[in-house]
Amino acid sequence: MNTIQRVCLTGATGFLGRRLVQRLLTDPQLQVRCLVRPTSDVDTLLEPLSPEQRARVEVVRGELHDAGYLRQGLAESDVVYHVAAALGGNTSTLFLNTVVPTRRLMAAASAVNVGRFVLISSLGVYGTRELRRWQQVDEQAALDPRAEQRDPYTFSKVRQELVARELSAELKLPLVIVRPGVIYGEGRSLLTSRVGLQVGPLLVRMGGSHPLPYTYVENCAEGVKLAGLVPGVDGETFNLVDDDPVTGHQLVRYLRRQGQKIRSVWIPGMCIQPLSWIYATYSRWSQGQLPPVITPYRSAAIWKPLRYSNAQAKHKLNWVQPISTEQALERTIAG
Amino acid sequence: MTTMTSTEPTRRSSSTTNADAIESSAPSTQAIPLGDRPVRVAILGCGQIADAHLGQLQRIRFAEVVGVCDSYEDLAYQAGVRFNVPQFTDLDNMLQVAQPDVVHIATPAHTHAPLAIKLLHAGCHVYVEKPFTLDVAEADRVIEVAANTGRRICIGHDQLFDPMWLRARQLVQSGAIGEARHVESILGYPIDGKFGALVKGDPNHWVRKLPGGLFQNTISHPLYRITDLLPDAEPVLLGNWLRRGGLDFPTELHIALEGEQVAGSLTFSTHLPPQRITRIYGTRGHLAIDFDGQVIRRAARPRMPGAFAKLEMPWRGFWDSCGNLGRNMWRFACGDIHYFAGMKNLFEAFYRSLQQGTEPPIPVAEIRRVTGLMDRIFEHCRSQDSQETT
Repeated sequence: MNTIQRVCLTGATGFLGRRLVQRLLTDPQLQVRCLVRPTSDVDTLLEPLSPEQRARVEVVRGELHDAGYLRQGLAESDVVYHVAAALGGNTSTLFLNTVVPTRRLMAAASAVNVGRFVLISSLGVYGTRELRRWQQVDEQAALDPRAEQRDPYTFSKVRQELVARELSAELKLPLVIVRPGVIYGEGRSLLTSRVGLQVGPLLVRMGGSHPLPYTYVENCAEGVKLAGLVPGVDGETFNLVDDDPVTGHQLVRYLRRQGQKIRSVWIPGMCIQPLSWIYATYSRWSQGQLPPVITPYRSAAIWKPLRYSNAQAKHKLNWVQPISTEQALERTIAG
Repeated sequence: MTTMTSTEPTRRSSSTTNADAIESSAPSTQAIPLGDRPVRVAILGCGQIADAHLGQLQRIRFAEVVGVCDSYEDLAYQAGVRFNVPQFTDLDNMLQVAQPDVVHIATPAHTHAPLAIKLLHAGCHVYVEKPFTLDVAEADRVIEVAANTGRRICIGHDQLFDPMWLRARQLVQSGAIGEARHVESILGYPIDGKFGALVKGDPNHWVRKLPGGLFQNTISHPLYRITDLLPDAEPVLLGNWLRRGGLDFPTELHIALEGEQVAGSLTFSTHLPPQRITRIYGTRGHLAIDFDGQVIRRAARPRMPGAFAKLEMPWRGFWDSCGNLGRNMWRFACGDIHYFAGMKNLFEAFYRSLQQGTEPPIPVAEIRRVTGLMDRIFEHCRSQDSQETT
């Protein structure tokens, strides 16, 4: 790739996208073009920026299903960061808002000769069910072969990766895939499904001794930025998780020490699989009166103790976690 | 579990409409009953509502899903893989390979009529999600083709077959509230909900382009809950639609319908949390049917005089609540509480009518009447809108 002058990104007004824009603008030579929806509020994106930085940001409004808009939006871009993704909704909605736009975006990127396409995937795509407890998970681990048995979000991200790889080969569009862990930061709860399930006001903690594959949003944004700008990594995939991961037990204790009231019950790790089996059996018997949100397959994928490696990002992207985990937790709680 | 049996009465159509004329004048071909073999079902359109169809179809023993089809290969893929059924991206190919008896149309509303006509000509019976068509002219064309080809059509008015509505109908027919005089139907639909947010965020969303905009895609349910008890073909309409929250398209609808014997009022609001509630007021009391809570609250006029009535009413309310709690506990224990239970009941009733060659559960005339009434509501609101503008 020649010298990078203009990068383009989707999802710029989102949780990660805003931070990525700020990180990109620390490079004084970069022009950043943001593809945003017609009704998106760009104030939160532009307010933290200095006047000089704002002058280097171009906001282009349109819909990702509009091929003409995409070609125009991506024109003259050296790198495209595809950050936009649906986080909620049922499976069809997630596919419609995640996989389908990826196809269109990659086709448009190829048509205007973009130098690199960076896809933000998820650490959840691995087929962890088949892995041993406490095994280290690096980028060589296989994708989940039965992703449809997982949650809709993971299913859509696995499909998105497969589609992106297929199109990258077909269109000869250089692709880099980033798989962030659970992204947290100011404005987002630290108590995610990796810790347990929120049932009304009660947190049902699942296990708690396994390290949580979390990444602070600023740290993640730095890794994503590098995935687009570092030369010679086309075709690579990078896990992005922070060092010094905390466990569910540690996180809940920490939050309580900070004064947060958390009403919870604890399910020991050894009970998760039997209870999941009972729940799934009841769900089947009742023909879905209680939806099959907990199954042995899903439980093994989410709550099995594993260690995720970020060595490849450190080695090939020279990624160094800018904010320590301790500082990140403090900032998140303060925010 | 609650199921519709073949003896379940079909929705009555109490008005003579053009559809009757179409049915009687068209050179109709009699449909051949499918007999006892499983009904082969295909789903066209793999969006959000298709999930509900596929989920309920899994619960019907005498239905076999033979294919799902969507022009987006990723949508067809996700539905096919999750429900373990063959997936297609081309309708003609699906018809040729899967050979369905019935095709469910679960695509955007503006495609319903052309797809239904194509499928009827291809020899399939057709189940159309609400709204049936864009307007009554399109509905007439579909009805005519169905009559000519001898194929059956059904509309997704599934809440008429919800256990709560079936029970409410029984209570009304038993005279529990006297004669029904007014039906009040409410739909809360937050615009920032899953689907509403898509419509709000995209000025070119297909819903915005419908003749009745957001309402065309949503008011079928609260409206047919009124028309089920309001038999007039052309009730007097009052009311309007409104824009709120700085949006450039109408999001609130308040319509009163005045029939000869029964009146109705329909409220659609994006400022209310999600809720599906209908109240039936009779000469001796009223019923409040809460589809989400799966309860019917009964209120009769007090029998006791004066201050004693103030004790009687909460006492009766207490026993009514106990009855609701007991019924729902029993249903929960039996695994019988399902959000789309009405959909399953309607599918079963439709398929049985195909197997036995009997009339479909929702008469064609009723489909046409509701479609025509929606046309009139939107026309009425448009005219009110233009008067206010001028």
